[in-house]
Amino acid sequence: MGLLSLLRKLKSSPDKELRILLLGLDNAGKTTILKHLASEDISHIMPTQGFNIKSVSSDGFKLNVWDIGGQRNIRPYWRNYFENTDILVYVIDSADQKRFEETGAELGELLEEEKLGGVPVLIYANKQDLFNASSPGEISEGLDLSQIRDHAWQIQPCSAITGEGVREGMDWVFKNIKSGKGKKK
Amino acid sequence: MPSRAEDILKGFKLNWMNLRDAESGKILWQSSDDLSMPEKEHEARVPKKILKCKAVSRELNFSSTEAMEKFRLEQKVMFKNRCLEEWYFEFGFVIPGSTNTWQSIIEAAPESQMMPANVLNGNVMIETYFYDGDLLVSTSKVRIFYV
Repeated sequence: MGLLSLLRKLKSSPDKELRILLLGLDNAGKTTILKHLASEDISHIMPTQGFNIKSVSSDGFKLNVWDIGGQRNIRPYWRNYFENTDILVYVIDSADQKRFEETGAELGELLEEEKLGGVPVLIYANKQDLFNASSPGEISEGLDLSQIRDHAWQIQPCSAITGEGVREGMDWVFKNIKSGKGKKK
Repeated sequence: MPSRAEDILKGFKLNWMNLRDAESGKILWQSSDDLSMPEKEHEARVPKKILKCKAVSRELNFSSTEAMEKFRLEQKVMFKNRCLEEWYFEFGFVIPGSTNTWQSIIEAAPESQMMPANVLNGNVMIETYFYDGDLLVSTSKVRIFYV
């Protein structure tokens, strides 16, 4: 598929530049999802100690995807990257039940952030290829996602390793962009 | 006592760059020499077939020991002294002690408008300038040879 083909679909959108922010705990699979979207090799991915950005340009239209490291010591810096975000993609390791509470708390805080107000949220329930992965239903319930107000949201089961479900998540992202805030410089 | 600007310059390192076929995601060239020596002009030997790619990506990886508030870059693709393409990118904040990558993916010119490899060979240079606000943090120049 590739990010370029995703971008081409978007040309009807009035904004010239689009920003997707990818967050989640460490080891959730953010970078793997990003690399999968660009058809890149995913066999040697290291923990992100900062950010990874992919900027895609087509006919003067730009898409910037920001993947910020999820380690505990990096999370306090997330807020530096909220501004002008069009879509938040939040990634959860569906097999890391021990940290559901932690990831739910981080997500909850993000949804309270003023700078992310009204921004649609896609939640990837990643690592569905693992035998002990929780289902999206279990995660929604465990994290109380039905309590989300003021944000359009969707939970999408996926496996960044096999690629299953990743595309469907992005389809939701692009469908929800136009209903976004439409601000922009 | 060293100034903040000096700390930023000293703590900045361009680790590597690569070029990919953006459709397949395959790496066509990856820097091997030490790119962090900004005064040196680097050379990239890239397979000619890159000129046939519908989309090409350029990726770079850098580290900074210091926090930066208004980090940005300018990247220009020069043919002789003419600028074929330029990117301005605003990173904003850079986390102290971080290692980061930035990748730009762009559609190639239609094949009919593409200059042939023998004309481009050795005449194309990717110039990247890194700034924090107005402070020039680092420069990188990579000359492209099509082999």
